[in-house]
Amino acid sequence: MSDSQLYKAQLLDHFKKPRNKVVGELSTMQIVKRGSNPRCGDDIEVGFSLTGNIIHSIQFRGRGCSVCIASASMMTESTKGQSAEYVKSIAAQMQRWIAGEDVNIPDMLLPLEAVRRHPARKKCVMLAWHALVEGMDECNV
Amino acid sequence: MNSATLSKTRTDKQSNLGGRINPERVKALFPIFRNNELTRNLSYLDNAATSQKPEVVMQAMDDAMRLFHSPVNRGFYPLAEQTTTRYEQARERLKSFIGAETDTSVIFTASATDSINQVAQGFLLARLKPGQNVWVTRMEHHSNYLPWQDVCEKSGANLRIIELNSAGELDLDRHLDIFSDTTAMIALTQTSNVLGTTNDVGAICKQAKQMHIPVLIDAAQAVVSNTINVQQLGCDFLVFSAHKMFAPTGIGLLYIAPDRLDQVQPVRLGGGMVDFAADHIADTTWSEAPHRFEAGSPNLVGAVGFAAACDFVESLGQANIKTHIGELASSLYQQLSHYPNLHLVSPAKHLSSGIVSFYHDVIHAHDLAQIMGDSGVAVRAGHHCAQPLLKHLGVSSTLRISISVYNTNDDIRAVVNALEYAEKVFA
Ligand SMILES: Cc1ncc(COP(=O)(O)O)c(C=O)c1O
Repeated sequence: MSDSQLYKAQLLDHFKKPRNKVVGELSTMQIVKRGSNPRCGDDIEVGFSLTGNIIHSIQFRGRGCSVCIASASMMTESTKGQSAEYVKSIAAQMQRWIAGEDVNIPDMLLPLEAVRRHPARKKCVMLAWHALVEGMDECNV
Repeated sequence: MNSATLSKTRTDKQSNLGGRINPERVKALFPIFRNNELTRNLSYLDNAATSQKPEVVMQAMDDAMRLFHSPVNRGFYPLAEQTTTRYEQARERLKSFIGAETDTSVIFTASATDSINQVAQGFLLARLKPGQNVWVTRMEHHSNYLPWQDVCEKSGANLRIIELNSAGELDLDRHLDIFSDTTAMIALTQTSNVLGTTNDVGAICKQAKQMHIPVLIDAAQAVVSNTINVQQLGCDFLVFSAHKMFAPTGIGLLYIAPDRLDQVQPVRLGGGMVDFAADHIADTTWSEAPHRFEAGSPNLVGAVGFAAACDFVESLGQANIKTHIGELASSLYQQLSHYPNLHLVSPAKHLSSGIVSFYHDVIHAHDLAQIMGDSGVAVRAGHHCAQPLLKHLGVSSTLRISISVYNTNDDIRAVVNALEYAEKVFA
């Protein structure tokens, strides 16, 4: 197996035991945004609630490949309790990092490293992040 | 000796074929499997997407560029005359490959997709009336779905869909008005690129003919393992792409039955297709078929490669190919049926298409395809440009194994081994 490095233990752990993933509706969240990629069937919703400009809770639901689900799971962990400005800057960094640029991202997201070598999977990583940013843009934080 | 007989001799000599396919020997005719680090030990099982190219096809194309390249239908010097002859010989070759009556019916296009769009826009759009029905099937590739949907919406006609029964075959009995005077056109695939189901297109053409309903057959997935004879089928239009039958991308075929030729308007306008360019389009006169459907400088190199691929396919024999890919598909199907988390969507009855599609309860098709890819097994995951079908199946993606002439039992074993490994990773 040359490059099954993609499926590192931490990534698989987030896929098999996703954090902050719910089964039913995200009805307790203030803002809910959908992200879907019909090309591969990834379809998720990201919901969050703000106190001031702090994300005090964040959840997601839906279905997708391991990369999509693991990335959404890691995202919820790395953004919970953070300010909207910080989250937006991390989202922008993520976008650049996934595109192959040499930028810093929180350690918690590093298990996604191998995806940078798989162009076809980059969208899977960014799906949850795009939904989150869209939600934040909508409420002007 | 013309190029057709030249390349035929080469194929026969190199592979000594004529009966059963010997995949190892056939594989040796495809340089890609020995020229490249990435491909040397690759189990290439994505043949429904596109096939690899044999040396004979490349050689014919190389000759076209090295030995007789110049404009087609546009020059008066000997080289240009030779080029035109080669191009028209390629058309002759395609004509015999599909059993067409005349070479005026054999039109080179950019692809199967391009051919279908030309029929939808150039033939159906002008004659389609509000309230009429255009029938396609649940198993169409987007290329045989969207162009019809578009002309229906522009005309106020209805796009109707022939549904599938539980066996994954067309449920013709469910739709009593298909062969009626409300139908303006039927467009269907001969073989599904997802299920592998092969439809009885001959029977459909026969019934349609009684009602004078035009039928288009998408033979993109069928040409390699079925001998096509448009006269026996009695179809009005038939299309396929060269690149799925060992020839290059960028060229496809559109067959238009002789009695339909004058009912199709050229959609692509430009050089080489007009006799008299007047002050207004209304007064402009088009060239004879097939030239009026081939605007712009013809794809000489592609046509020559396409013709060489016809020789190649016939030298192996479509029936032999069908047996070979069917046997490997059956063996794979058999082995996959032992995995409780795996759901086969290809009907067991239609494995002779060489297509085996399935999905896994736990592992997303993209993850499975990635793990297979990392193990040297090239397969396709996704909706295969057939979203209406996937919706019907209730899944967002499937994994598709599609088998060709150079695949061996080792390739099938590689699929099963990679699946075993994936199940371990995702356990
Ligand atoms: C059944 C079928 N029809 C049409 C097409 C379109 O072929 P192309 O993309 O070469 O135009 C394909 C290609 O995947 C196909 O499988």
